[in-house]
Amino acid sequence: MSDPRSAGSLLRYYCTVGNGMEPFLMDEVKRKLAAENVCQMPGKVLFTSSVRIDRISELKAAERLFLLLKQDAPVQLSVHTSPAKAASILQSKLLGDRNQWTRAVLTWSRLQGELADRRTTYIIPSTDLGGQGKKEGRGDREQREEEEKCCMETRNTTIKQREKERESRRLTSSGENGAQTLEKKRKREKEIFFEAQTLEKKRKREDEEWEERRMGGGEDSSSDKTLVKGKTSERERSEEGEGREMVVTFGKVKPGTDFNGGSVAVCDHATGGPDNNVDSNSRGIKDFAVDSVENVRFNRGDDKMLLELSRKEPKLPFCFAVSFRISCKCTGSVSRFFSTQEMSKVIGVGVSRLLGWKADLKDPKLEVNVNLSDDHCLLGIPLTRLPLANRSYIKTTGLRSTIAWAMASLAQIQPGFFVVDPMCGVGTILIEAAQEHKDACFLGVDIDDGQLQKANENVEFAKLGKSIHLLKASSMVLPLPSASVDVVVCDLPFGRKFGTKTQMSANLPVIVTEMERILCIGGSLVLLLSPQLSCLLKKILAQKSTGSTSNEETKPQTGLKDCPFPPLSSTKQQTFQIHQGVKSSSAQPTDPQSELQHSLPPPHSSLKHQATMRVSLGAIDGLIHKYVKIDA
Amino acid sequence: MKLLTHNMLTSHVKGVTKGYPLLIKATEVKVNDVEFNPQFVSRMIPKLEWSALIQAAEELGHRQDLPEELLPEYEKNEEFLKRVHRVLLEVEVIEGCLKCPESGREFPISRGIPNMLLNEDEV
Repeated sequence: MSDPRSAGSLLRYYCTVGNGMEPFLMDEVKRKLAAENVCQMPGKVLFTSSVRIDRISELKAAERLFLLLKQDAPVQLSVHTSPAKAASILQSKLLGDRNQWTRAVLTWSRLQGELADRRTTYIIPSTDLGGQGKKEGRGDREQREEEEKCCMETRNTTIKQREKERESRRLTSSGENGAQTLEKKRKREKEIFFEAQTLEKKRKREDEEWEERRMGGGEDSSSDKTLVKGKTSERERSEEGEGREMVVTFGKVKPGTDFNGGSVAVCDHATGGPDNNVDSNSRGIKDFAVDSVENVRFNRGDDKMLLELSRKEPKLPFCFAVSFRISCKCTGSVSRFFSTQEMSKVIGVGVSRLLGWKADLKDPKLEVNVNLSDDHCLLGIPLTRLPLANRSYIKTTGLRSTIAWAMASLAQIQPGFFVVDPMCGVGTILIEAAQEHKDACFLGVDIDDGQLQKANENVEFAKLGKSIHLLKASSMVLPLPSASVDVVVCDLPFGRKFGTKTQMSANLPVIVTEMERILCIGGSLVLLLSPQLSCLLKKILAQKSTGSTSNEETKPQTGLKDCPFPPLSSTKQQTFQIHQGVKSSSAQPTDPQSELQHSLPPPHSSLKHQATMRVSLGAIDGLIHKYVKIDA
Repeated sequence: MKLLTHNMLTSHVKGVTKGYPLLIKATEVKVNDVEFNPQFVSRMIPKLEWSALIQAAEELGHRQDLPEELLPEYEKNEEFLKRVHRVLLEVEVIEGCLKCPESGREFPISRGIPNMLLNEDEV
């Protein structure tokens, strides 16, 4: 069976990224996905790619992944525009072409199906069907699908129950709405949209709980672990179940839909369920949803029917079509007209009217994210429930995974490299690096037993015991020979969680000198520092290298001593250079400068600065410095 | 602790000039199966101190008949690479200690992690 789904159609996506991570993600999509038309805006990267969705969803620098629904010039509203006018302008501008939305949703559901496929291939080897080998060829999709089916059938009944409940909830709410008049419906929508915030919060909480359960489960003893793992995969499987239905649906709808013709009046319900009371003005997308409902019914057996009958609403179910929710982010002039909730409402009402979709804030099939600012207007549909930044292979999180990955990518690790993190903590940077570079060797050093223990568990959990090794030692006296390491990466403790600020800044010169010592010539040093430490490090290294440059300068031109006022902008630097020049000409070993509180043994730094990137760590910013050791 | 790690370790106790290679006194040694990656092993070999590796493997009784001298053209010798792989990555010291050849200072290994931390007066 060939693979028609990944027929290499070019699709446009965007990802959200942490501040400062845009260049890393741009580089990553170009490198891994052969992405075209890559562009960035603050906090986002847009790109076009034909690569399979499962590979796209493996991006490491991104936070969340979206299918681009629409990108447009910013909406301009004059100050004098009335709110009602503003709403209608926004609606006409943002909604526009119905086909665009329909197409996007169909693409979205196809991608969901492909992602579900991928999840299954992950799950099967690790759970129930553990007997079969991991090395299932990509080619035998047919076989795999067989297995999936069987997997679905054998699904645990509680899950089914849960799903039934969820479905019936959905049907119930639709039932109510179906019976209501349009006006009432609008009113209800209004209410719903005002609930937006609390529900959003609730959903977040749910997600967190789920996360916690996952994490919590991980920390338990190993027997518990498998149990929780089982649960997780069940959950995933239930999601995947939904995904599959959508795919099936897609297949059915497709022949009847005609994107070029605008509204699609096909109602080919040969497949129609027992009571096929579909609206006559059905649209392509409605069919699609209807089908999916029928599918659900078909799959879930009779109690749903009973439920419907008991509600005594004959004309009910199929006008809810795609259930959706709008999540809005507005900045700039537009945000002066409407609050986020109002904006969501304006757009949501517009979408309902245009497409007949049904707003559902609690448990929608589809979420549409709307970003409006003075610079752009961007609409997209999230493709994964959890952010890409949530790593399935990390048990205890330390540093933000995207930042850790970015540091590893800056280090440009090559096969056969020996990479050391002298303050590895729970090992996040090394794990991110080792995931990407299977042919390199990693050593994590930390002084704290608790951290090392967690790092050890993380390494085992990620199955990276082959490439990551751990060691207890101080970063100030590393038990490694000089010039023996290709890369040093380190997230220097900011003094918030570990150690104290003063301790850290007092030790920084020694730590950096030690890192420099173990690096071989040409080796890279990549550090993550707090803004304060970043300044301090620059000072330390500048001082060291000023020592060396002024040395070189004094030799050819004997300049600095003769010229009382060298043309330097900063007086501090001036006095310093003169001072330094005098010192070096009198051939004394460099004495620590009085303005530097910290003494530094080696006079010259062999670390050549390559790059500094500022990245957001949430509450604070961090700075990534990259140096290369040169032959000094 | 795997022997690949051991191969990198030196003792930096104050006054010690040659703290390499560290002697291994193992009380518990485990041999794990680790997926064989010939590229990785042949990439690592040039970085190794071969004699130190042989000595360590000998001490643990897992020398695998590896020769004193590194074989030429080892990249193509898969059988040889497999034996190096075993010594480097599969043999693991879980409990025991490492001893500085010069000062005699012992560094404990517990739960597979060597503790190379020095006291303040040793730095």
